[in-house]
Amino acid sequence: MARELTHGASADSVGTRPRVAAQPFLRRNVPILALIGLLVVSGVYFSLASDTFLTLGNFLNIVRQSAPALILAVSMTMVMTTRGIDLSVGSLTAMVGGVGAVLMRDGWSVWAAIVVMCAIGVVAGSVNGFFVAYQGIPAFIVTLAGFTAFRGIALILTEGFSIPMRDERFVWLGQGTIRNVPVPVVIALVFGIIGWLVFNKTPFGMRLVAVGSNPEATRRSGVNTAALLLRVYVISGLAAAVAAIVIAARLGAGSSNAGLGLELEVITGVVLGGTSLFGGIGTMTGSLLGVFLIAMIANGLILLRLDPFYVPVVQGRFSWARCGCTPMWRVSATLRRDSF
Amino acid sequence: MVTPEEHEDGGSVPGLDTPEPDDFVLQASDLTKSFGSVAALRGATLELRAGEVLGVVGDNGAGKSTLIKTLSGVVAPDRGTIFFAGELVHFSSPRAARSLGIETVYQDLALCEHLTVARNLYLGRELTRHGLPWLDDRRMARSAEQFLERLGIVAVPGDAVVRNLSGGQRQAVAVAKAVAFSPRVLILDEPTAALGVREVEQVLDLVRRVRADGVGVILITHRMQDLFEVCDRLLIMYEGTDIARLTTKNTTLEEIVYYIDGGSGREHQRAGSITSAS
Repeated sequence: MARELTHGASADSVGTRPRVAAQPFLRRNVPILALIGLLVVSGVYFSLASDTFLTLGNFLNIVRQSAPALILAVSMTMVMTTRGIDLSVGSLTAMVGGVGAVLMRDGWSVWAAIVVMCAIGVVAGSVNGFFVAYQGIPAFIVTLAGFTAFRGIALILTEGFSIPMRDERFVWLGQGTIRNVPVPVVIALVFGIIGWLVFNKTPFGMRLVAVGSNPEATRRSGVNTAALLLRVYVISGLAAAVAAIVIAARLGAGSSNAGLGLELEVITGVVLGGTSLFGGIGTMTGSLLGVFLIAMIANGLILLRLDPFYVPVVQGRFSWARCGCTPMWRVSATLRRDSF
Repeated sequence: MVTPEEHEDGGSVPGLDTPEPDDFVLQASDLTKSFGSVAALRGATLELRAGEVLGVVGDNGAGKSTLIKTLSGVVAPDRGTIFFAGELVHFSSPRAARSLGIETVYQDLALCEHLTVARNLYLGRELTRHGLPWLDDRRMARSAEQFLERLGIVAVPGDAVVRNLSGGQRQAVAVAKAVAFSPRVLILDEPTAALGVREVEQVLDLVRRVRADGVGVILITHRMQDLFEVCDRLLIMYEGTDIARLTTKNTTLEEIVYYIDGGSGREHQRAGSITSAS
């Protein structure tokens, strides 16, 4: 359907390049560079302070532990780039895990259960998406309802118990390895790569940024923005289902307590990464690094035998430190704009 | 049908009041639209031929913007009909109007600040590679840059982020976005608001060029001199209706202002308005 611009045909018509500097690499990537700085500084500190921190085993350990959050960071980045938010994903992992456990307990095959789990994620996501995209209800309210309701359903299904899932093929998804790389790490990696490509290289990803930047302009450009928003919440629901499978398989059980606070961990990581809560700015790389940073800090502090009660406090401090970087690049952006 | 050459000397469309209906590329009649208790349109009628520039004039709140929003599918009218090239159409969305070739430059420019110039131009009709959903950013940037250069309003690099552009550059991008895909009807809502003298001249020149290509142009502007420079006909809006139709070469600023003011029994105010407008 796309056509070439009709009035701009001839190839040799470009003379001197017009001014307005394309932003230099460094400036364009201030948020991510700040994050990498934090990663390096804390990484060096933990490496010096602990013998076991800087080993491949520990690295894989961190990624395996944060795999569900990494998977959700991909979809959360998309959602937040459209000016939305999805608070329901943590509870949704509990509900999906609970349903899977009940089904397998009742003799369903692993694959059928997995399909149903994914389908539940999609349906839950479309309910969220329907209210956000077609009813115009703020995503915060809609997904807050899901946040409460989904965990409630998980409690009803499991009656508050942890229901064991013993099938080896299922458990492999959370505990197995492929050539010494834990399966959850592989799943998170695949999710991250696909997410990055979709977000940066496809018309869909570009329109996500557009709708977050200026919804009305995007609509006037002929994009079906409601359908676009619906799809992004469906992706979020599906990602929650995948995260739920990884969590349940790792624990070998479906529990109504799975994914408690997971949505906030993900949102923290995504915001740390440089994605704007106000839409239009999103970075997949930043989100993955942000989630990894939070997990790495927890891991490092535990290796240093810090009282676990202090871990969230330190993580919070890191968020503040990262926020401190925000004004710096805001100022530089303002300076750039004024120079024209 | 009027040939482009005749327009070169300042517009010479025959002043027919009731031409053949199928002459019109766009014909809207009796459009009404209320926003709550505010009636923005109370039965407005508009007709546009291919290859003519129609100036839509009126005071603030006369319904100009609402009128063109109904024509571009942004706002659905409460009542009234729109014929495009002789066929009855209902625009359920801007996409529907755009797919027929009705392109619009909105007063608020309607650009996405966080996207590059090229991605803005191609938003909704992205260039992809090998038929896959895979953006061809390089081709879009190159093509956008060449296109903007050909338009010659302001130089803008294709891979610059719109947030970093000046007002004039944004305006150029907005205009480029509308004329890029061979429109049949081009609607311009205050396209020269953010531009300097030279750039305004470039935009008006562009309007003449697309008119020569047989495009029907609707121009809304506050600058009276723009109207006289490029418009063939004028449609004057007053309180949600089309109060008068004028042929530019047969009218005067005085007459235009007279109708903008409501067109009746205001002899004293007319004199005052003309002074302040000119």
